[in-house]
Amino acid sequence: MNKIIHPIAPEELMAYLDGELTANRATAAAAHLGECAECQSIVPGFRGVSQILKTWKATPPGSEMPPVITTALAESRPEPNSVSPAQRKWREIFGPRWATLAWAGGVAAVLVVVGALEFQVRPRYITLERQVTSDSSADRDHLALRESPGPTSAGKPAETVLLIAPEEKEAATGHDLVANGPMIIRSAQLSLITKEFDKARANLEAILKRHRGYVGELKAGGTTGSGRTLTATLRVPADQLDATLTEVKTLGRVESESQSGQDVTSQYVDLQARLSNARNTEQRLTDLLRNRTGKLSDVLQVEQEVDRVRGEIEQMEAERKNMSNQVSYATLNATIAEDYKAQLQVVPPSTSTRLSNAAVEGYRSMADGVVSLALFLLSTGPSLLLWGVVLFLPARLIWKKVRRSFAS
Amino acid sequence: MLEFQGGSHPAFELLFARYRGPLYGFFRRRLNGDQRAEDLTQETFVAVIRASARYEPRALVRTYLYSIAMNLLAAERRKQFRDSPPGELAPEPVTTDAPDAALWIRRALEKLDDSEREILMLREFEQLSYAEIAELMKLPVNTVRSRLFRSRMALKEYLEPTQKVSHAVAAGDETERVKLARAEGEVL
Repeated sequence: MNKIIHPIAPEELMAYLDGELTANRATAAAAHLGECAECQSIVPGFRGVSQILKTWKATPPGSEMPPVITTALAESRPEPNSVSPAQRKWREIFGPRWATLAWAGGVAAVLVVVGALEFQVRPRYITLERQVTSDSSADRDHLALRESPGPTSAGKPAETVLLIAPEEKEAATGHDLVANGPMIIRSAQLSLITKEFDKARANLEAILKRHRGYVGELKAGGTTGSGRTLTATLRVPADQLDATLTEVKTLGRVESESQSGQDVTSQYVDLQARLSNARNTEQRLTDLLRNRTGKLSDVLQVEQEVDRVRGEIEQMEAERKNMSNQVSYATLNATIAEDYKAQLQVVPPSTSTRLSNAAVEGYRSMADGVVSLALFLLSTGPSLLLWGVVLFLPARLIWKKVRRSFAS
Repeated sequence: MLEFQGGSHPAFELLFARYRGPLYGFFRRRLNGDQRAEDLTQETFVAVIRASARYEPRALVRTYLYSIAMNLLAAERRKQFRDSPPGELAPEPVTTDAPDAALWIRRALEKLDDSEREILMLREFEQLSYAEIAELMKLPVNTVRSRLFRSRMALKEYLEPTQKVSHAVAAGDETERVKLARAEGEVL
């Protein structure tokens, strides 16, 4: 059985009957309908439905305008030509009024966002210029090592204090810090207990070296009969703090740990602004001194003002540098305590050692006796001599009388 | 409409005279009660008057009027749904002209899907073009055409016995009409 292929779909045929086809398709549909009996049989069905539906009529009760509409019409009084041709053209391009408002709102929002970004980004570029200038003129810090004279007796070992300044320059400039996000001064506290104190200390230094950190302050101490303790303030690059902490934790059992961060971005930006203002003031005062003439008292007053502004600039520079350093390098306060175990002396000293010790003790006692006698004589000899001289004649007289009485 | 917007009351009177009947028919075929249909027709024109200052000639006036009418119709249906007790259906809209035909057609139309029925009614009763229906219903023109085709095909089937009844009515054979209607199960 041959299947007839219709070039016009039934839907299109319906659209043709409704007058909704384009001219080309309508021509094709008309041509096909003229020769296709099957399609011709569909047409009465569509038309029949429409004809039946047309029998459902609804006629309004009256033709006059109701009072409610008349009243509304009287109240409205539309302004003649309230929408001008120019406004109409504008609305054709940008849409109705609400769409225009939406457009305007969108554009305003974009401008606000761009403005806000600009406001945040600009100070960072200023920071870059200033920071680079400052770094180029900054003096390099040097290594300083100091050993405290602490007590050496009473069984207490010497306490060593190491003050080590960074060998390397700051890893990141202030600009980098601000540009990379908020400026956070990070710090962490870590308390450990280790059984191998010496090994832990050596490993701590290795960790510091590996993470390009340095020791800000280190104290190691302890007494006989108790464990040793190491307290260190370590400075590590901020981005290395987490890795450093992880490694330091492996040195012993963690007793306590805490971390904190202080956002100083706004303070830094504020400081930069104040620094900039102070520099401008200094420049203006310098120009004033150079170009203007006046009374000596006025000149002196301006010079005093210049000195004051320069002092402020130096103070702010130091503050800014300190802040940058604090941000660049995080502070890790580490305390490592030794897990002390008391040792029992099970092996007595040898006889030779004891004889030697006894001989040493005897010699030390003799020497001590001689020294003590000499010290006694030296300290009391003059007094004894004086009293001997004073008491010699009375004592001799008394002695003669006693001998005489015994003889008689 | 632009003339009315410019302040011409005769232009509005012309608009009213031209569209009052179609708008009344629009509401009457979709709601029950002559008075409510008349009220909503008046509300449509009042809305046109009040919104005339904001009118923009982006579409045909006819489409503009029917879009207002459709909004009012939707609000009315929501109101009826809220006010009617649960389980109670609103009475069927039956026009005064040829009530029998209205009932049969209404029954057949009820069997259609809501969207297809609305498209069919806008096309058949309001005589809107496919593009106008698409704009009112916020649908692509091709979708409108497909749904219109489906609804017409379905309605043709639903109306088959009715066509016979309709012809019988037209021929004045009351007995034949009742017989056919009962056979179909219609409740008259």
